[in-house]
Amino acid sequence: MMRKTKWKKHSILPGFGLSVGFTTLYVSLLVLLPLAMIFVNTASMSWSGFWAAVTEPRVIASYRLSFGASFAAACINVVFGVLIAWVLVRYSFPGKRVIDGLVDLPFALPTAVAGIALTTLYTETGWVGQFLPFKVAFTPIGITIALTFIGLPFVVRMVQPVLQNFDQETEEASAILGAGRMQTFFKVIVPEIIPAALTGFALAFARALGEYGSVVFIAGNMPMKTEITPLMIMTKLEQYDYEGATAIAAVMLVISFVLLLFINGLQWWTNRKYSHS
Amino acid sequence: MSIQIKGVSKTFGSFEALKNINLDIQTGELVALLGPSGSGKTSLLRIIAGLEEADDGVIFFGNEEITHIRTTERKVGFVFQHYALFKHMTVFDNVAYGLRVRSKRERPSKKDIKKKVTELLSLVKLEAFADRYPAQLSGGQRQRVALARALAVEPKVLLLDEPFGALDAKVRKELRRWLRRLHDEFHITSIFVTHDQEEALDVANRIVVMNEGRIEQIGSPEEVYEQPNSPFVYDFLGNVNVFHGRLEDGQWRNGNQADTEQQALAYVRPHDIVIEREKPTEDAVEAKVIHVHAVGRTVHIELKEEKAERFLEAELPKEQYRELNIQTGETVFVRPNQLKVFVPADFSI
Amino acid sequence: MAGHIPLQYGSKQAVKQTAREPFMIRFLLITVALAFLFLFLLLPLAAIFIKAFEQGVGLYIASITDPDALSAIKLTLLVVVLTVPLNALFGLAAAWAITKFEFRGKSLLITLIDLPFAISPVIAGLVFVLLFSTHGLFGDFLFQHDIKILFAVPGIVLATLFVTFPFVARELIPLMQAQGSAEEEASLTLGANGWKTFWLVTLPNIKWGLLYGVILCNARAVGEFGAVSVVSGHIRGLTNTMPLHIEILYNEYQFSAAFAVASLMSILAIVTLILKNIVEWKSGQHG
Repeated sequence: MMRKTKWKKHSILPGFGLSVGFTTLYVSLLVLLPLAMIFVNTASMSWSGFWAAVTEPRVIASYRLSFGASFAAACINVVFGVLIAWVLVRYSFPGKRVIDGLVDLPFALPTAVAGIALTTLYTETGWVGQFLPFKVAFTPIGITIALTFIGLPFVVRMVQPVLQNFDQETEEASAILGAGRMQTFFKVIVPEIIPAALTGFALAFARALGEYGSVVFIAGNMPMKTEITPLMIMTKLEQYDYEGATAIAAVMLVISFVLLLFINGLQWWTNRKYSHS
Repeated sequence: MSIQIKGVSKTFGSFEALKNINLDIQTGELVALLGPSGSGKTSLLRIIAGLEEADDGVIFFGNEEITHIRTTERKVGFVFQHYALFKHMTVFDNVAYGLRVRSKRERPSKKDIKKKVTELLSLVKLEAFADRYPAQLSGGQRQRVALARALAVEPKVLLLDEPFGALDAKVRKELRRWLRRLHDEFHITSIFVTHDQEEALDVANRIVVMNEGRIEQIGSPEEVYEQPNSPFVYDFLGNVNVFHGRLEDGQWRNGNQADTEQQALAYVRPHDIVIEREKPTEDAVEAKVIHVHAVGRTVHIELKEEKAERFLEAELPKEQYRELNIQTGETVFVRPNQLKVFVPADFSI
Repeated sequence: MAGHIPLQYGSKQAVKQTAREPFMIRFLLITVALAFLFLFLLLPLAAIFIKAFEQGVGLYIASITDPDALSAIKLTLLVVVLTVPLNALFGLAAAWAITKFEFRGKSLLITLIDLPFAISPVIAGLVFVLLFSTHGLFGDFLFQHDIKILFAVPGIVLATLFVTFPFVARELIPLMQAQGSAEEEASLTLGANGWKTFWLVTLPNIKWGLLYGVILCNARAVGEFGAVSVVSGHIRGLTNTMPLHIEILYNEYQFSAAFAVASLMSILAIVTLILKNIVEWKSGQHG
């Protein structure tokens, strides 16, 4: 028997060449070629030059801030995201539909708009800021608030369908077997939502790391104190330090790839976990 | 339209779905492709329809080779396992689809389309449902819409993939009868895929039994049921009891005391098992009655062979059961009335 | 998939309320959740509109009819008109390629489509600077032929294309995967050719998902800030989109004007959310 190894399985549906060709061309020109520039340009730098650019004290401070604030924001989002998802799925209260729809606002609202709105609220004279005993705007706390805003929908929207599809008979079974409500929650429900919550966390974290628009207004952008890494790239560009900007971008890109891999792994895990049902 | 399949093979990755299939189907036949899942029956049907491409071999419709003709031009009617009705179209639009997508030159007039669709809908008894959407129909109704849609293009060949698979038992029986009537009326060459032997025996003129990518046997329902040519066919086409024995001068003998003699297995249908209270011949086997299921005209009896720790199944007419007065827990004698012998070498292919 | 959550098909059916918490706990949980949402979503949204009208309707109208504001609106619309159809077309092609065929390199292609979601918008802008600035890969060529991409409209369009191109594809891929190819196959056996099958069978089946992807793509194209900020050059009246215009007004302490323009964009965001819910509801009905 003749056996050919083809790179494409036969299909009677038409349009393979056209759709794959167009998709590949589009992706290559728009994503692959531009992104390759980062690595091409980085590769042309000397190692010491690259190292100096990415370990400059101001840049190091920005990593610390970006990671710290993004992590804090993602943590806040996990706690409140699970709570909001739970409340939206399990309880009924007036205005629930509107609230449910509003959760996606951070995806729909331009980041710059969110940025100026949050800044206005949290300055020392702002509606919220005036009641707080500590400074929020132009501090890392303000940055965390902006990052919490933009990451909010991720955890809610990942956890919501899991709770929706959760077989409540298992909960009932747990109760019949004598578990208390808290025991049921931690032993039966929490394990089910952990993969989804983790994926939501990773998505919110990844988004927060790269976020620019909503942060620049509330950050104040003081060197060593409230400069996030994307802003560092921007600053270097404005000073025509293309090498420095590219080097920092290369570091961030690598981190993004790792996060992307991690998220894909998490999603594979989630799918595997739920594929039986 | 007759169909000729010559030397068709197909692999998916490293899985050989079809191995050198040869099959002739006469005009107007109603053929069942019968086999377990993974036997290649659906692949063969899809290759005939042009939904898959064979790696090797040729296919003729009549005198015309259609191996490389695209599905669109093959003029086959295909009924999908899960119907594949267009969700966003009404029943009427679904049935009319094949006529409406024709090129301007070949397309019937609006009036003719309407007439044709109405005709078909009355044929499948769904005139009242013309404006409904598939989601508003029951499984049996959807199946009939799928059939009407396939018939609308006046196919030369009608192909049905597990046509009754997703329906409940009662609707299934009804549709079976109905498909046969439809076939008697139109005489379109039809092939349907099924894994249900009862369905194949009941509906088809001819049955093609498939296993592991090969054709095991082709024949009329009586032929494949009465004269199965392999243990697989015997087993697949109904319940079966296997007796271990040996061949002596071309005669099958129960039991295998002598290792030197050729071993042979006797395949016996439950209704070919005779139960007696006294040992009639030395071939009879002693067995204990384990369970009697006496609902209906036939009585099903489960027995356990005393020596061999094997279970047997027998079927008797009720009168005979009453006469014998068999009780659970009793020991009786069992012998095959009619059997088919297979020597292991025959089927260790 | 990083940065985007596909539409949830299927109706949000009522969940049984058997094993319920005591009223006090329920009340507490709902209150905390709502308080958080009020603080983080409702209050900023309200602030935009209140700040926009703080100095009166006159200034509001003046702010959004200012020539610079109008040219920013026009440029934003132009960017949308150019990017959204292109990305919708790409999304259709990519989803068709990925869901209807098995071929090598498919998962790599999917990963590449996801990439823009995982990348900082600033980097998305930077890559185009590296390509088209005078020191960039095509810098000399562009200079010799007097073509301006960076700090001009083409650069803004390219950067926006980059950040918005996964939206439609990401929406359609899971949807078309779930629907399978049986209906397309049925159409082909009934004699329809490829284009007819696409128009009559595939497209009607995915129209809500496509619409939703377009809505999201549109929202992002209108609001993109970081990437556009890098490539635009901030030339007022020429290369300022609406978000960039807001930034300039805000940095010049023209807060009311900034919020006036911001309110326009917020209305668009709210419309997006409403459309999203309508689409979700519709697709749940026909799903």
